[in-house]
Amino acid sequence: MPQIDDAALDYLLARGGLRATEEQRAGLKAEYEHVAAMAERVRKPRGRMAEPVLTYGFAEEDQA
Amino acid sequence: MSEIPTIAEAAKLIASKQLSPVELTRACLTRVKELDPELHAFVLRTEERALADARAAEAAVMADKRVGPLCGIPIGLKDIVDTKGITTTCHSKILRDNVPDTDATCAVKLAEAGTVLMGKTSTHEFADGGLSFDLPWPPARNPWNTKHFTAGSSSGTGAGVAAGLFLGGIGTDTGGSIRGPAALCGIAGIKPTYGLVSRAGVAPAAFTLDHIGPMAWTAEDCALMLQALAGHDPRDPASASRSIPNYTAQLGSGIKGMRIGVIHYFHEVDHKVSAGTQRGIDAAVASFRDLGAVVSEVTLSPLAEWHACGTLISLTERAAAYEEWARPRLGDFSARVQQRLLLGSMVSGVDYVQAVRRRRELRAELQAAMANLDVVLTAAQPTEAPKIDEVPEWDIGQKPSFTMPFNVAGYPAISICSGFGEGGLPVAIQLVGKPFQEATVLRIADAFEKATPFRARRPALSSALVAAQ
Repeated sequence: MPQIDDAALDYLLARGGLRATEEQRAGLKAEYEHVAAMAERVRKPRGRMAEPVLTYGFAEEDQA
Repeated sequence: MSEIPTIAEAAKLIASKQLSPVELTRACLTRVKELDPELHAFVLRTEERALADARAAEAAVMADKRVGPLCGIPIGLKDIVDTKGITTTCHSKILRDNVPDTDATCAVKLAEAGTVLMGKTSTHEFADGGLSFDLPWPPARNPWNTKHFTAGSSSGTGAGVAAGLFLGGIGTDTGGSIRGPAALCGIAGIKPTYGLVSRAGVAPAAFTLDHIGPMAWTAEDCALMLQALAGHDPRDPASASRSIPNYTAQLGSGIKGMRIGVIHYFHEVDHKVSAGTQRGIDAAVASFRDLGAVVSEVTLSPLAEWHACGTLISLTERAAAYEEWARPRLGDFSARVQQRLLLGSMVSGVDYVQAVRRRRELRAELQAAMANLDVVLTAAQPTEAPKIDEVPEWDIGQKPSFTMPFNVAGYPAISICSGFGEGGLPVAIQLVGKPFQEATVLRIADAFEKATPFRARRPALSSALVAAQ
């Protein structure tokens, strides 16, 4: 799984405007591997036209 | 009163003046006083309000005013639901003294239906869905055995209904927070279609995954509550505008010929459930066949696909919602929520959008899979309730949940009790319908409950409390 080093962790936390304790940093490094794996999992070859779901508009066919 | 009625039973007795709402409320208050010191179902009890509500309900009945089925019914509201003039803490130090000046729409609707507000129920901090012991109030305990977990985050509502502290209540569900506690506490809980029940005035967990819904002893009771809760609300930007059907009209009309698809792969391979839970699923499938339903197998993308999509969206939206508080006072959140907020802030914008694009694909997949079905069935939880001190501190790397797929899709889903596991605690199944087809979901759930003996068994609370000592 993808890993994160201290410099990258520092950058991401600073970007978020947040500070973490040493204990939290250790946890974040471990958990970030799972997040990175999930981020890879949702990437599919779908092309540039595939839109996201932002709001719902259930159509009649949903209920057919 | 020694027996705890269902909402449907109490409604009939109240309407025919055989049961006094004040008497019912006093009976519930007595149970609260006896049991809640151990169960911790409440963050705040509202005894004076409850008695005032009950007297008003009784006056309406005695004056022969037209009253609905929730008139005089004691309820609990999850403590992320704003209540005007009543502290709403979100089970967090941050909002310890927060007194809203308006009611959430769901609180208004239940009050207008004549319910009796017993209090604000325990949750996990800001409906996070995970257990914490570093909050101002302890977590709720499972009435079937108070050494055990309730699941969350609608934990107090689940425990309170199961223990008969009130007859129904509000839960919220971002990845399973209605269905999880319903499953582990042995009650019914439905997450309606996204947009059916207003979220206005309810603290967000993740905007596009959040749902508000009823929790009660039976599916029929959930139907009665949903009738009062459903409907368009301009205060909620995602509120659906459509006519509301009668959710109880089809109850009791049988399920012969209805089509049920079982997602075997979810609970037999992707996240293999315990033997007791599997037995409950197998017995439920046999019951549905006996009732005349047509059962088939359904295959969807692996649970991990849904879990990844939902988790990325949930983490990111939560971090965005609470950023204003997290930046200056992160340390005031529980350790668990701090970790989730930190992690959520690390997800990139591109990762989030890819997850939301994946969401559309997964929803389309479910729509196609259900084209010739009325509902799909899988587990609600992998096992019966674990011991509270054996619940993992952090669960993002754990096996994927059975409930998150239907938050990702926005489809309605109910958890109902399907028996009892090896440890004597409840196990459950989950039934999922098409958008806005709650009446069908409730009809099938109700038929199952009435064909099986599980609604006749309540927690033996005295022995549960003794066992915990």
